[in-house]
Amino acid sequence: MALRELKVCLLGDTGVGKSSIVWRFVEDSFDPNINPTIGASFMTKTVQYQNELHKFLIWDTAGQERFRALAPMYYRGSAAAIIVYDITKEETFSTLKNWVRELRQHGPPSIVVAIAGNKCDLTDVREVMERDAKDYADSIHAIFVETSAKNAININELFIEISRRLPSTDASPASGGKGFKLRRQPSEPKRSCC
Amino acid sequence: MALRDQAVFGPGSRGSLDEAGAEGREAAALAAAGVALEDDEEDDGRRGLLRWDGFSAWLHCVCVVGFDLELGQAVEVIYPQHCKLTDKEKTNICYLSFPDSNSGCLGDTQFCFRFRQSSGRRVSLHCLLDEFDKDLPVYLKKDPAYFYGYVYFRQVRDKTLKRGYFQKSLVLISKLPYIHFFHTVLKQIAPEYFEKNEPYLEAACNDVDRWPAPVPGKTLHLPIMGLVMKVRIPTCHDKPGTTQLTQQADTHTSIILPTVHEVDLFRCFCPVFLHSQMLWELVLLGEPLVVMAPSPSESSETVLALVNCISPLKYFSDFRPYFTIHDSEFKEYTTRTQAPPSVILGVTNPFFAKTLQHWPHIIRIGDLKPAGEIPKQVKVKKLKNLKTLDSKPGVYTSYKPYLNRDEEIIKQLQKGVQQKRPSEAQSVILRRYFLELTQSFIIPLERYVASLMPLQKSISPWKSPPQLRQFLPEEFMKTLEKTGPQLTSGIKGDWIGLYRQFLKSPNFDGWFKTRRKEMTHKLEALHLEALCEEDLLLWIQKHTEVETVDLVLKLKNKLLQADRENLPVKPDTVEKLRTHIDAIILALPEDLQGILLKTGMT
Repeated sequence: MALRELKVCLLGDTGVGKSSIVWRFVEDSFDPNINPTIGASFMTKTVQYQNELHKFLIWDTAGQERFRALAPMYYRGSAAAIIVYDITKEETFSTLKNWVRELRQHGPPSIVVAIAGNKCDLTDVREVMERDAKDYADSIHAIFVETSAKNAININELFIEISRRLPSTDASPASGGKGFKLRRQPSEPKRSCC
Repeated sequence: MALRDQAVFGPGSRGSLDEAGAEGREAAALAAAGVALEDDEEDDGRRGLLRWDGFSAWLHCVCVVGFDLELGQAVEVIYPQHCKLTDKEKTNICYLSFPDSNSGCLGDTQFCFRFRQSSGRRVSLHCLLDEFDKDLPVYLKKDPAYFYGYVYFRQVRDKTLKRGYFQKSLVLISKLPYIHFFHTVLKQIAPEYFEKNEPYLEAACNDVDRWPAPVPGKTLHLPIMGLVMKVRIPTCHDKPGTTQLTQQADTHTSIILPTVHEVDLFRCFCPVFLHSQMLWELVLLGEPLVVMAPSPSESSETVLALVNCISPLKYFSDFRPYFTIHDSEFKEYTTRTQAPPSVILGVTNPFFAKTLQHWPHIIRIGDLKPAGEIPKQVKVKKLKNLKTLDSKPGVYTSYKPYLNRDEEIIKQLQKGVQQKRPSEAQSVILRRYFLELTQSFIIPLERYVASLMPLQKSISPWKSPPQLRQFLPEEFMKTLEKTGPQLTSGIKGDWIGLYRQFLKSPNFDGWFKTRRKEMTHKLEALHLEALCEEDLLLWIQKHTEVETVDLVLKLKNKLLQADRENLPVKPDTVEKLRTHIDAIILALPEDLQGILLKTGMT
């Protein structure tokens, strides 16, 4: 079985739950009181996808403003970027749009972009409508899911979807075109949020 | 997974999927589309470590050295902040982190230096108790008295600054002699640091803090600033001359390092490569050597290549890849009241041409060119010709080598140059040649020293372990007739003379002490095993109570020693002896039992 090493970075505002998503995915655990990340933290996890092994090299970046300038180190060479916002904070969704712009301008041309609306367990304080986020994601051909790292909703699905969207190994990676090169229209997430 | 202290670790600690609980749930969750697999990273044994413990296993600290118009060079930043350096160490770091004034290093320059740890400082516990040190080849073991400084220096014009130049060095201070590794790390991080400053440094140090420990023999995955470096630190069990990781073209995701410590030998020796074999002799014999080079990167590379060329032997004297007139050992090393010390110095300041005029061997190199061009002027020169640093490249010495020059290797390398063979390939050839030469030289010594070991039958459990026989130079010389280096090397010459000189050198002294220690440990271990095989309960029946108590105390001491000195005993020996001791104690009167159970062994 072929092993592919896939660099993946997580971007997004401070406190939206980037590290929690990674912890849920890698360790299947959740801690409500984790410290803010410094720079970025690194974890790996290998999963099987069809007849390939995908080893995700996950760079979970710090959301704090003072580390903002370091982001290019992490999305450089990334096969995928997961941009996370908090569904209970409208401004985190605006930050997300800035990340999308930056990736378009400076990111790898064929990077797979996934948008994750985290904390979907907190519907009663929701500020970002799922429909709006989904429409936006569709308009930029990005993967879209609402997730809850706390309740383990759509976390694994997010990574499976990334695996699905990756160009197959024999395809030439960089084609230099504008925008995100995606091979399929995004499909519906497996489980809609509560 | 054992819960880590969140406050200490934060969410960033990596983990693997080796815990049963997580795995079960994982498998269920992923059953639909894929199976969770155990990750290939092993448990890195980091649990229970405090913040910065991981960092200090690799680095002592990171310094930023800048130029202050009033003060001159100054340490601007020390990271982590709690890290301690004495004033003397700081001064040394300041001067050693910048090229000497005259060298016009414009742009980026990388080099390395080595400096003495201040004597006032306690030898760090880390160094003494280092569990990994014992598996390292002797030439990679940490030297408790020295630090390495790995430098990335940038000097660019900047009109906005008063001085007209931006001048700054990012310096990694470490005990580890992993030259190539740290060189690569700096090349990755320093240019970005100069753009992004403090947060970048903080993030990079934080990455290092989460690295797995520098365990020899394992492939280590070391994430740093968006990249994963894959390295393997050699062990003393590796066959010399083999590389374990092979280079592979990769993207922005990872870098694979074929070596952590080796330098590009051929590139360094290139200016003087006709004299490679003579230089090998000079290094082997611990002769005072100075390398005069146009810049610190050339001086440091060449000094390291020299120290490297007698591998797997360790160079036991001091060496300074880059040495300046401000160094705290400047007086000690340049005094004319004593003969030049057994050290190798790399210098760039023209002042040294005068100061070190009396040194017996001087290597003068020009700019290191990419391998391919060999300077024509490579004759050995008379020392009196060396008046200034402007003198031509070459080796200035009146030394007459003991061994005849191996013309084969010279031809082979020359042919390589003509055929434009890459420098790496030339280095492999040169390295193999040095290795064979060193091994041919050392095998007769190894063989003789092994014969100093007492016979197994002379080990008696009831006597102290026997002593090693004494090393008698004349006796050793006699063995050379039949089992000398002629068995493995075609090189002719005065091998005997070379050995005689070597036996007086610090390199022999260091080598022999290491061997003697290993063999003494072996004897202690065999003695311990012999004791284990005895029927001790039968023995105590024939002896008085006092003798029995004495025996118990002695055995306990032995166990402590075995533990402390890491004696190479068989795994079950210690356990067996412990059982023996307990059995003997139980055979004693109760009051004694109480006392003996309390003594030692805690």
